[in-house]
This record gives sequence, C-alpha cells and structure tokens, in this order.
Amino acid sequence: MKKILYLSIVVILTSCMPNKNKSKEINIYSQRHYNVDELQYQNFEKMTGIKVNVTKANADELIQRLKNEGENSPADLFITVDVGKLWQASDMGLFQKFEDKSVFENIDPQFLDKNGFWVPVTYRSRVVVYSNERVKKDDLSTYEDLANEKWRGRLLVRSSSNAYNQALVSSLVANLGVENTSNWSEAVVKNFARDPKGSDRDQVKAIAAGQGDIAIVNSYYIGLLLSSEKEEEIKAGNAVSVFFPNQDDRGAHINVSGLALTKNAPNRENAIELIKYLTSVQAQETYVNNSYEYSVNPSVKPDPIVQEWGEFKKDPVDLNMLGIKRDEAIRIFDKTGWK
Amino acid sequence: MEIVKKYITNRGKLIFSTVFLSLFVILPILALVFSVVKIDTSNFQYLWDNLLFEYSLDTIYLITITSIFSLLFGILPAWYMSTNEFKFKNIYDIFLYLPLAIPAYIMAFTYSDVLSYTGPIQSFSRKYFPDFADLINQDYLQIEVLGIIMALSLYPYIYTACRLSFSLIGANYINLSRSLGMSRLKTFFKIVIPLSRVAIFSGLFLIIMEVLNEYGAVKYFGVNTFTSGIFRSWYSMQDVETASLLAVLLFFIVVFFFSIERYLNSRYKFNYTPNTKKFKNEPPSFKNRFIIHLVCLIPIILGFLIPVLFIINNVIYEFSRIDFIKVFNLTTNTIIISLIATLIILVIAVYFQFLKRILKNRTITFFNEVISLTYALPGAVIGLSLILLFTSYPFENELLIGSFGILVYAYVIRYMAVGISPLKSSFDKHPSSYDDTAFNLGMGPTKLFRSIHLPINKSAIAIAFLITFVDIIKELPITLILRPFNFDTLAVQTYEYAIEEMIPKSSIYSLAIVMLGTILLIFLKKIVNKEIDVPKSK
Repeated sequence: MKKILYLSIVVILTSCMPNKNKSKEINIYSQRHYNVDELQYQNFEKMTGIKVNVTKANADELIQRLKNEGENSPADLFITVDVGKLWQASDMGLFQKFEDKSVFENIDPQFLDKNGFWVPVTYRSRVVVYSNERVKKDDLSTYEDLANEKWRGRLLVRSSSNAYNQALVSSLVANLGVENTSNWSEAVVKNFARDPKGSDRDQVKAIAAGQGDIAIVNSYYIGLLLSSEKEEEIKAGNAVSVFFPNQDDRGAHINVSGLALTKNAPNRENAIELIKYLTSVQAQETYVNNSYEYSVNPSVKPDPIVQEWGEFKKDPVDLNMLGIKRDEAIRIFDKTGWK
Repeated sequence: MEIVKKYITNRGKLIFSTVFLSLFVILPILALVFSVVKIDTSNFQYLWDNLLFEYSLDTIYLITITSIFSLLFGILPAWYMSTNEFKFKNIYDIFLYLPLAIPAYIMAFTYSDVLSYTGPIQSFSRKYFPDFADLINQDYLQIEVLGIIMALSLYPYIYTACRLSFSLIGANYINLSRSLGMSRLKTFFKIVIPLSRVAIFSGLFLIIMEVLNEYGAVKYFGVNTFTSGIFRSWYSMQDVETASLLAVLLFFIVVFFFSIERYLNSRYKFNYTPNTKKFKNEPPSFKNRFIIHLVCLIPIILGFLIPVLFIINNVIYEFSRIDFIKVFNLTTNTIIISLIATLIILVIAVYFQFLKRILKNRTITFFNEVISLTYALPGAVIGLSLILLFTSYPFENELLIGSFGILVYAYVIRYMAVGISPLKSSFDKHPSSYDDTAFNLGMGPTKLFRSIHLPINKSAIAIAFLITFVDIIKELPITLILRPFNFDTLAVQTYEYAIEEMIPKSSIYSLAIVMLGTILLIFLKKIVNKEIDVPKSK
C-alpha cells in the first residue's frame, strides 16, 4: 500500500520536470482557437522548419500564467482577440518592445501600437445589424443614437462580461467621457428587448425570430452566418443588414486581434519570424477568407461577402484606450444594470 | 479498540501520513487563502454593493430548479424500477445512467442549438405549422430552461443513490406500512424517502457542487451565479485577489452547509435491517404501466436520446471532413491522463477509508471530510490556485505549470470527493467485528486489507473508479488552463469548436466522450446491479 503511495508521489514529482526549450521551436500562449490558426502554424512549420507549440486558454488565465511564471515563462508570444487585454498585459510589464521595426513593415500604420509593444494581426468592427423587414437604414446613425427612445424594447446585445462589449463601451468612455457614457448606457439598458445573453450570432437569430429589431455584433459573425451550410442560418443572416455607425463623425468602433513578444521570450528570433509570416500577404489572405475578419495588411482585400458591406470610416481613437478605460466601462455596466 | 492498539504499533506514523496527504490535497486552498491576505478590499466592497446579492439570488434559484428536476428525474424512476416489473425494465435501467456520459456544457450547447431559431424544432414548426410557429418560436435561453438542462445531465447521481438505497430498504418496511393502512403515496413519503435521506442527499450534494461550478453554460444563458462573480473580478476587473477571496468564501459557505447537514443527519441516524426480502413485484395495472413508462422515458429521451441523436446527426453531416487520426490521438490522451489521475485518487481514497476504519481516529475522520470539500471549488479556481502556488517560493525557479504532473495533481484535488463518496458508504457498512476478529487471528493491517477489505469492498472500489474516470474524461476548465503545450483532450477540442459556434465540427469529439462514458457506465450499472441483487429469501 505504502509502496504504491511512494511510487505515485515519485511519479508525480518526476513528471513535473521542466520542459526544456529547443532552439528550433516557438511557444505560444494563445486565446485564438480557430481552425485557421492551426493552418497558419502548419504552413509556417513547413516553410521554416520551426516547430510551433501552442497552449490555448482564456486571455486572463494566460496573462495570469505569464505574470506568475515571470522570467521562467516558456512562452515567446501571447496572442489575443481583444486589444484591451494586450494593453493590460503590456501595462503589467509582461512584454518587450519590438526593437526591430521591420516587423511592422506589412501593417497599415493606423492599427499599430503607439508604444510599440504589440502587433495587430486582424481587425474587426463592432457594428449594428438591423432587421430588413422592420427597420429602415435611415433610422440608424450612431452608437449614441442607440439610446434614443425609439429603440425601446427593440435592441439586442450580449452580456457585459463579453470582452467585445467592454471594448466598445471603453471606446465610448474615451470619446464621450464617463458621465455621458453612463447616461448612454442607462438609456440603452432601457431599450433592451431582453436580458443580455447568448452569443453574437444568437442576437442575429433573435432578430430573425422577431424578438428584437437591431443588435450590436462583431462584423465577421454575419459573414460566418452567410457562409454557413445550414439553409436556416443563411436565412437568418439574410434577414439583417450591416450598418457601420458614426460614419459622419468619428467612425465605427474597431478592435484588433494581435500578438506580443513576452518579456523574456526564449526564442525571440523565431517569434519575430512568425510575426512577419502572419502579417504577410499569404497568411493574411488565409485569415480573411476563413474568418471574415479584416486584414491589417493594406494590400489584402476582405472576403467578397465582407466587401459587399462597403468600405467604412474607422474610429481613430488610440486602441490602447480599449484597455485603459475598461475599469470605468465595467463600473458603468454594473451601475446601469447591463447584466 | 484495545486490540487494534496492540497490533498497530506505528499508529502515530499512519495518522501523520493521512494528515500529510490531506495537506497535499488542500494545499491550493491554503495558497488561495494566503493570496487573499494581501487583498485590497475596494473591489470586493464594490462587488458586494452592486452585484453579489443579485448573483446569490440567481444561484439559489438555479440550484432550486436543478435540484427539483434532478429529484424528479432521479427518484421516481428509481422507485418504480425497484418495486415493479415491466417490459424493457433492464434497458431502461441502463439508459437511466447514461446522461452522466454527457458533460453539462455539451448538453447546454446542444439544447440551445436544438431549441434555437435556426434549430430543427423552430424551423420545422415555421415550415409546416406556421399557425403554431409563434407559440413555439420563443426565446429558450432562460434560467428555468438551463436548470432543467443541468438536471438532465446530473440526475443520474440521484438515480444511482436511490436505486441502491431503495433496494437496501427491502420490502419488509413497505409491506408493514401498507398493511398498517398507509397508502402507496404515504408509504413513499413517510417511509421510503426518510430511510433514503442520506443517500439522496449525497447525490444532491454532488449536483449542487456541479451547479456552483458551472460557468460556460451559465454565462451563455445570461445567468449570473456566485461563480460569475469570481470570474467578473478575475476576467473583467483583473483582480485575482478578489476572485480568490470570493472562491474562498464560496468554499466556506459550502463547508458550512455541509456541516449543518452532517449534524442534522447524525441526529437522525438509524439502523435498519437491510434487504431481508425482495419487493413483491406485482404486475402493475394498465394505467400504472403507462405512468411508469412515461416516468422512465422522459429522462431517457430528453437526457440521452435527443442530445445523442443530435450529435450523431452532426457527425454524419461532417463525416467526410473528420480527421480520425486526431480523434484517435485525443481519445488516447484523454484516457491516459484520466486513468493516471483516477488511480491516484483511488489509492488515496481507499487508504483513508481503511485507516479511518481500523484506527477510528478523529483526525483521520476530519481530514477525510476535508479532502472531499475541494469539489466545491470551480475548476478554473483550482487552476488559479496551482498557478499561484507553483510560481512562488520555493518553486519559482522551476517550470512546473504546464507539466503533466501538475495537471494530474489538479484533477486529483478536484475529483477526490467523487472517488471518496461510494467508498465511504461501503467501508462504513461492514461491522467492526470483522477487524477485531482478524486482529485476534493474528492478521496484520496489510493482510487485513488484502484478504478482507479489498474483497468485500471490491464493488465500491470499482464504482468509485468508474464514476471518477467518467468525470475526469469530461473535465474542461482545469485542462484548459494547466495543460502542457500542444496537449488537447476530447473535452477541450469539443469546447473550442462549440465556443466558436461550430457545433457540427465539435460533434465527433463529443461523441467520443459520450461513447467512452457510455461504455464505462454500462460496466458501472452491471456492478451496481450485482450489489442490488439479493439472494432470494423464502
């Protein structure tokens, strides 16, 4: 009995031995778990012979792991789908600046980090979609207008624990100030057609089902619905149209999915090579055609489905604000009862 | 007692070993408590003022709904199964266990898809019965629906417990009660339920823990439970200390209720002669037969057949695109890691039960309860606590997080309770005269264990093994946060597709989980039935 116990303790302890890093490797902590990412890493491995190791989990869990592992962290790159988390981790001192500016070569400068800590890979807009049956395009104008009484009981959106909503409201705080945003949120909550729940796609389906008339969603979800193989999902996607708010003033809110080099990246050179690959035309086209996101490489056009929505003006606010203002956004959510 | 003292000379060492093992299991909680010491309470104050009251109400409401439906789905079929003879009884008996093979989050994702606007039910009604479509086309993402869905995947805990307990009660009490003029209904509520109290509660305890633990499905349905508060502070407010404080608080609330229940139950402790006579199984009337089939079929159809058929349908639809090598690899990963963790849990759990029995020591009894309570901590919190623990002194220079050892360790902490629960009741059942006699005959403790306790508790050990194994196969949050590079399990892959709303793509991996679970549960059912089956008494 005791022998088994000792044995199992020994087994546990020996299996705890640290993973040694080899030089032809790169270790990634990623929040992205789309198929397209796996495809990209495979292509990169084929091209360069550098093996890509990935641990995928929630962004905050990975940040916690990075922070606690400190100098010993095996991770070279941190990838997330919300720039707010990139700012947060850079603010915690978990990243290093890019000394080699050639990593930015492929990227449209408007999406770059002013502090030089992170690199965008794709971007998406958080747009308003509206029922083709019950809403006229002219009724829509800005995010601010969603607080208008005419939308009472008609607006659909998911929970405030979702990072995309947090980023959107952070951008409003940055643009309009805390008090205005708070008043806005209070009125918007009154306009909710139902308690916030479900995913972005569920909001679109709810419009199709007649449970509401307009919804706040990420642009690529419409692309995913329209390219679905299920007839009913395509129908739901076709029941709505995409509207980019604030085109006459600051522009529609955008968020980037991006990556950063960890403070003590053991395979720094390999990591930089991967970044250059992921922002190259070839890799960007793969992203754009699989996930319906927008490319940060100016020479890559969106997928045809996305192109149909037309070009749009983007909110030029410093993207780091989406992290800096998050605390205030959360408090506004809680104070105004946005569940 | 005297005899034991005479034969066990290294008593102190043995007790120490259990204390040491317990510390090994609860170390992460200590790490959490320690991290709370440094807390800045402003965020906690904020959550307390703004959210926690509402979160607590939602938690209680969800627990209530899930409990009521789990009791309904679990107790009634178990009762009919134990007291009646009817067609398909054996098949029903197997199927009633099987929803346990479907993880709660898969059940929730599946049902939200089945019930959604673009799902089969609503699409069908729109197409063929447009007049009724408005009636059916509802928003099903409601806390009540979530409660029922959770009950569908959790009720087998109650069913298993009741099935064992009802058959142990035997027919004597029932017949006596009936002949004293009590109606069937009254007998059920006044005799059967009180006698099965302990068993029912042990099942219900696991269910409540599971509800407290759930995060993914709860969030999707727009419900905020106490656990949402933990993740609100961690994910949205980036305040790990407050998250730890809430987790510790949750832990102590559970400990509090658990102790009250223990206290109340110990006051009502009674012995009954188990199973002297089998139930006289009269063939039920037509009306009763109808009710019996209905009662058994509802949980089977809703809890197993619908979700599994939906999953299979998706697998067929995706069939040409399935990467079978990957499915095979992930299945192997899942089996190996679950097997290692389960074996460690069993060794520790059996060691505790055996020492508790032969030493009759309070310290061991106490720690035996303590190591069951880690089940109250959400998986992600156990992950967090291990990160905190293994990145601080004296481990800060070792790369322990992300190793298999730590992952297995986390499973052991999380699922200790599941392994202990069937063992405890079995080890407690046998009279202590066995041990005294054995010692008198000159057996040492090792021999006593090998020749007596191992054989007489064989079924319980097998049950503990199977239940723990099935649970670890389904594990998600711990694996996500602590796994090594490039290491995926079936549950993780299912989740990654499901969260991106690619339910069809996730289906082959959920089917693999369900199939593994089903095979194990069929074994489980065989063993349980052997326990229930009594020698015919004349």
